[in-house]
Amino acid sequence: MKKYLITSIITLTLFSTISISCSDEFVSPKPKYSIDSENYFNSKEDYNDALVAAYDLLQSTYANALLGEIASDNTLAGGESPTDVIGWQQVDDMIHTPVNSNLRDIWNWMFAGVQRANYILEFKDKTDFEGKTQLLAETRFLRAYYQFELVKWFGGIPMKGDARFKVGDEKTVPRSSVAEVYASIEADLIFATANLSPIASQKGRVTKGAAEALLGKAYLYQNKYAQAAASLNNVITSGKYSLVSDYDAIFEMAGENGSESVFEVQYTDVEGAGFTCLQCSEGNVAVGFSGVRNYSGPLFSSGFSFNVPTAEAANSFEAGDKRKNTAILDIAAWAEANKSYDNGKGVTFGKGNEDTGYFNRKYLPRKRSDNAQGDLNLTNPNNYRAIRYADVLLMAAEAYNRGGIDDAKAREYLNQVRRRAFGDNNHDISVSGAALTDFIWAERRSELFGEGQRFFDLVRTGKAVGKIPGFTANKNELFPLPIEEIQFANGNWKQNPGY
Amino acid sequence: MKSKLLLTVLLLFTSFAFSQSFDVSGTVLDGTGLSLPGVNVKVKTSSQSTTTDFDGSFKLLGVPKGTTIVFSYIGFRTQEVVVSAPKITVKLSDDTRSLEEVVVIGYGSQKKREVTGAVSVVDSKTLDILKPIKVEQALQGTVSGVNVTTQSGAPGAKLDIRIRGIATNGENGPQAIIDGYVGDLSLLNPNDIETITVLKDAQAAIYGTIAANGIILITTKMGKKNSKTKVSFNSYTGFQEASRKLPMLNATEYALLLNESYANGGKALPYPNASGLGSGTDWQKQVLGKSVPLLNSDITISGGSDKITYSISGSHLDQEGIVGSDKSGFLRNTARLALGADLSDKFKVKTNVIYTYFDRKTINENGLGSVLFNALNVPATLAPYAANGDFTLVPNTTGLGNEIINPLAQIANTYNDYNYKKLNGNFGLDYKIFKGFTLSSSIGFNTSNSEGKTFGKKISYGGKVFDVQRSSVTETATNDNDYSFDLYATYVTKIGENHNITATLGNTIYKQWGNSANATGFDVPNNSWDFADLSLTKGVPSALNTGGYVYDQRRLSYFGRAQYDYKGKYLLSAMIRRDASTKFGPDNKVGYFPSFTGGWVISDEGFFGESKTFNFLKLRASYGTLGNDQIPNNGFLSLLNGEATYVFDGNLVSGVATGQIPNPKLKWEQAKKFDVGLDLRLLSDKVSIVADYFIDTRKDLLIPDIPVSGITGVGAPGASAPTLNAGTVRNSGVEFAIDYKEKFGDNFSLSVGYNVTFIKNEVLEVNNGTGIIELGNFGVGQPAASRMQAGQPIGYFYGYKTDGIFQNQAEVDAHPSQLALGANASPGDIRFVDVNGDGVIDSKDKTNIGDPIPDATMGFNIQMSYKSLDFALYSFASIGNDMVRNYERVLSDANRLDYVLDRWTGPGTSNSVPRVTTGATANNVLSEYFVEDASYLRIQNIQLGYTLDPKVTQKAGITKLRLYTGVNNLYTFTKYKGFDPGASFGPTNKDGVSQSPIGAGIDYGFYPVPRTYLLGLNINF
Repeated sequence: MKKYLITSIITLTLFSTISISCSDEFVSPKPKYSIDSENYFNSKEDYNDALVAAYDLLQSTYANALLGEIASDNTLAGGESPTDVIGWQQVDDMIHTPVNSNLRDIWNWMFAGVQRANYILEFKDKTDFEGKTQLLAETRFLRAYYQFELVKWFGGIPMKGDARFKVGDEKTVPRSSVAEVYASIEADLIFATANLSPIASQKGRVTKGAAEALLGKAYLYQNKYAQAAASLNNVITSGKYSLVSDYDAIFEMAGENGSESVFEVQYTDVEGAGFTCLQCSEGNVAVGFSGVRNYSGPLFSSGFSFNVPTAEAANSFEAGDKRKNTAILDIAAWAEANKSYDNGKGVTFGKGNEDTGYFNRKYLPRKRSDNAQGDLNLTNPNNYRAIRYADVLLMAAEAYNRGGIDDAKAREYLNQVRRRAFGDNNHDISVSGAALTDFIWAERRSELFGEGQRFFDLVRTGKAVGKIPGFTANKNELFPLPIEEIQFANGNWKQNPGY
Repeated sequence: MKSKLLLTVLLLFTSFAFSQSFDVSGTVLDGTGLSLPGVNVKVKTSSQSTTTDFDGSFKLLGVPKGTTIVFSYIGFRTQEVVVSAPKITVKLSDDTRSLEEVVVIGYGSQKKREVTGAVSVVDSKTLDILKPIKVEQALQGTVSGVNVTTQSGAPGAKLDIRIRGIATNGENGPQAIIDGYVGDLSLLNPNDIETITVLKDAQAAIYGTIAANGIILITTKMGKKNSKTKVSFNSYTGFQEASRKLPMLNATEYALLLNESYANGGKALPYPNASGLGSGTDWQKQVLGKSVPLLNSDITISGGSDKITYSISGSHLDQEGIVGSDKSGFLRNTARLALGADLSDKFKVKTNVIYTYFDRKTINENGLGSVLFNALNVPATLAPYAANGDFTLVPNTTGLGNEIINPLAQIANTYNDYNYKKLNGNFGLDYKIFKGFTLSSSIGFNTSNSEGKTFGKKISYGGKVFDVQRSSVTETATNDNDYSFDLYATYVTKIGENHNITATLGNTIYKQWGNSANATGFDVPNNSWDFADLSLTKGVPSALNTGGYVYDQRRLSYFGRAQYDYKGKYLLSAMIRRDASTKFGPDNKVGYFPSFTGGWVISDEGFFGESKTFNFLKLRASYGTLGNDQIPNNGFLSLLNGEATYVFDGNLVSGVATGQIPNPKLKWEQAKKFDVGLDLRLLSDKVSIVADYFIDTRKDLLIPDIPVSGITGVGAPGASAPTLNAGTVRNSGVEFAIDYKEKFGDNFSLSVGYNVTFIKNEVLEVNNGTGIIELGNFGVGQPAASRMQAGQPIGYFYGYKTDGIFQNQAEVDAHPSQLALGANASPGDIRFVDVNGDGVIDSKDKTNIGDPIPDATMGFNIQMSYKSLDFALYSFASIGNDMVRNYERVLSDANRLDYVLDRWTGPGTSNSVPRVTTGATANNVLSEYFVEDASYLRIQNIQLGYTLDPKVTQKAGITKLRLYTGVNNLYTFTKYKGFDPGASFGPTNKDGVSQSPIGAGIDYGFYPVPRTYLLGLNINF
């Protein structure tokens, strides 16, 4: 009897313990203090916060600007040694292959931007609120901006509409054609031009003018001159933008977000950064990388001596062009001129790999504030002037000229830029037709030197062969898809020709 | 049932009545002649038994003449005595390797002779000799199949235990179970430990999902029943020094080398006059301390009555570091209370509570710009101090880069403190419900609080990356808790005479939860550590300066085990465990882990006979599935914990973004473990041999942060790659251990042990599309150094093969172009091998150039005692592990190791060390030139002790007084050039806890494990 009693007590104890505390419910707690991405977008704030995330990736385009310059005939890779950031060194020499972590960064970061924009667009119908159209227009501008970068660098890319990519999509979603990508970019930007406010609610937000300029640029890249001219002319006639009379002032801190700024990527140095996540930096990483090695002296601070202009590039400026001294720092001359600095200590600096004595002065690190957080090389606050009004004028000039629409207008826009550069009207261009085209292209190099445009200008105009050392036609117009992506896709995506 | 028992007892007693019997009394003594209380004294043929009292004496009533009495006691060889007189004295010889010894196997225990899994035990005696500062050290070289590597020689640094190799990308360390509950062995006072039991194979399957990396069962010391209060006091003091200094260039050699290098690069000589520079500064001498103190004391008070046992202990450890002395110090205090009580014949309770406090300070180590890295790279031409007593600034030049700073200044400006308080323990209850049936319940817990503080002093090193523009102090407070609740029943029965059955059934609930908060304050008053506290900082932050996290993870498990043996000759056991874990998504929460073990005691077979040589031979085998769930939390969910910061109107604005890419299909990692082993005893137990062959295959490998296509947005700030079940790794190998123990006369005893483990590691598949996972940094701005790839060992080094040095231009011209590596070759440069034979040297020629996994590890140990003297030596060897030399900053003006003196300077001068030049070369890409064989043999511990004659000391009430001296980490034999060939751990995974095996074995100037001279004493009274 006693035995049964005990047995039943045990059974009861076991049973109750198991049934009370041990059901599988125990192992399904809701994660505390965390927000599930699939149950989001319940208020205007939610959308706004997600939009900040889409903007965030603009800061990672420092890599595009820097490498766009290195890839061109403007600058050499430089750095500490020939093996320092080997991916950049190879692009500089046009011997890059699909094995290149720096090209992969650009792929990954630009797609991250697309993905963050698509996160909002995937849920665009979930919650309604005032100002939603403006928010969606900003979102679509950003998606177009990232996709434009991708199509410039890699050609056709996979697209999934207003939906995020999931792991596995790389095996099923095909690469769209270049035309399809541009169609998507155009659609996004047409929506953006129609719905964006002409005036930014905050410095750094995209505007109608930015969308029109980017749309014009996208048309120009497809040689759609009439549409390009129309869209760019809208920017010019909007009256919102003007050339800054002192070219040099544009690139100093005080010149940020000035009257010439159509679209500008915003940076700051109040938050620290490290090498393990360069895309996380709130600073312009390209600037520290372009700095003069071990520099000590006035105005600038030191950096890693990448992206050094060649002598050919430095000599490409016409005599009397005031832009040269803004674009190119001749370090020896600078040291000579500042001999007396700091009680005669003067300027000291080191020499890196492929030293030419020249530096990309527009985006050199300036002296830093006491608030600047380290690693100082990675947190330079210099904004990237992504689309300047001068660029819009030159693009418009090119569209009017090459489209055979209006050479007079083209000359006028070109000469506006030249008059500022030379400080007089004596350098105005008066030719027409193909000769004018050549002047416009030459002007682009001088005006936009060091701003990451050169390689793509040469490629889209078919002038890269012979100009860029090592450039192979029908291959180097595009960069290779990262080897990893080809492997992930498992046959779904073909490598770009020649790689 | 009960009535049957009574009947049996009654029958037995009746039988006694008919034979000649008398009362037997006596004393039981240990090897040194001291009385042994608590010894189990049992009549072999009946259930009559007793235990010895405080004085080691016992009495058995009415024992027939000729009866065999069995004396058994944990840690001593069981002895049988045939009764011939009413008074007997029995001397038990201590033998931890006794086959009758009881071994814990998880939710139960087994006699050693009946164990069917691969199980190794390290007991308190070994711990006593080794004097480990941390428990893990005691497993190095003492247990086959176990490899212990240290992450640093810094006091309090983590040690890694690897049981039978490296099998997964995340956490590879075994789970420690302390007195039945999930715990952390690294924080224990080694002197509180009675035994460490290592479950290496499918035997561990009773722990299911936490067992894939092996299980380490820790039994802490309990008091002994019927024993007088025993006080044991141990103390030692030690002096530490670096076990190795690297041969660097002195100032003159350095200047001449630079001149040559600059000349080769076509530049002006930096030292036109190198005479008079002398030898300059020996930076290592400046940085590495001598006679750095170490102090450890502990006291244990234990004893027991016939119902209650107790053990109380405390310990204090204070260690300074050989680099940075008190700036890398470790202080640990522990206190412990263990109580056991028999409440009745049926109820037993047990509790064991440990309090641990430690305080640790660290310096920058093991990375670019770490203190030792700087000590190796600062030129000897620089003096440590300027004339005014300030630290010399390392010039900010291209040749010295912007990371190399004065390591002494770096130490002086390092301020941090971390302290940790923990209470852990358990309460257990055993309830014997009826004969053979026991219900056990236990709750174990860990609860800890830790606080960390780091002060970032405003400092300028003259334009280096370590310059701090604004002073700040960061404080972190973390609270971690967990509990394990076990409830299980054990039933032991016998069917007939020969069929023995033990069945165990139960469940375990485990929950861990905690939170952490951190904040950074700016503008510390007076820029001083003395004022570095959040309460004093008033600086307005410009960016988000707070952070934190919470977590709640749980596991629910049911398990069952059946053990059967026939006459103790044929042994079988089967286990199954069902685990449900919060780490996995709804569809894959639950996993089942079955396993089987079997054994055959061949020496018990009739055909085996009574061999003189072989006194025991057992063949055993096991197979089972074990699991691993050690991955970051919430991997199946997409959470908005990414980074989304942009600048509007010049100010930082934070939004939200997704973090880790989710993998809703996340499931268990499975370890399929097979083991076949042999236990052999020869020459009346003098020689014991254990040999095992094993195959451990990990399937559905949980690979954290596995590369996936960039279209998923994995490259975004704060985003990370998912954890995927995407690979298979196999470790197979052989373990062999032999121990020899002999007594020569009364005065001299010797024991020798040797064990060796051969492991072959091979990745069988990586299913992420690329088939490759890359990690590990080499140099600056260079591609990942290590890979995981099918057909190769995990984490092998991926680089270029070399074929000597180009001796002349003709050789360069005859060889494929090396331009793609960075520069065209010149005579004196490294000749790389065109592995794929395509006529050009490029990244396609990269291949396996070594791996950090040893082919074999072994331990060799000797213990001797002669009269009052005792001597012990422990050594460990690791063979076939490679290491990448990565502590040389490849800059024109950095100091170098003296092997560059043998460099190429012209045809025929060297075929191994390339020329020096400031010009462009590809000599610094990762190649065989940087991979070194880091095989080593280390004398880990050598000790000589002297025990005063107990007869003399006993007059002073001291039962034992032993003085000893020893050296830990006496010497390391190796060809490796760096500080420590044992340094092998990879980059930290995203979970912030585990290290990836990919990227292991890359040496940034490892903080070397110190050599320690010890002087100590043990007193018992």
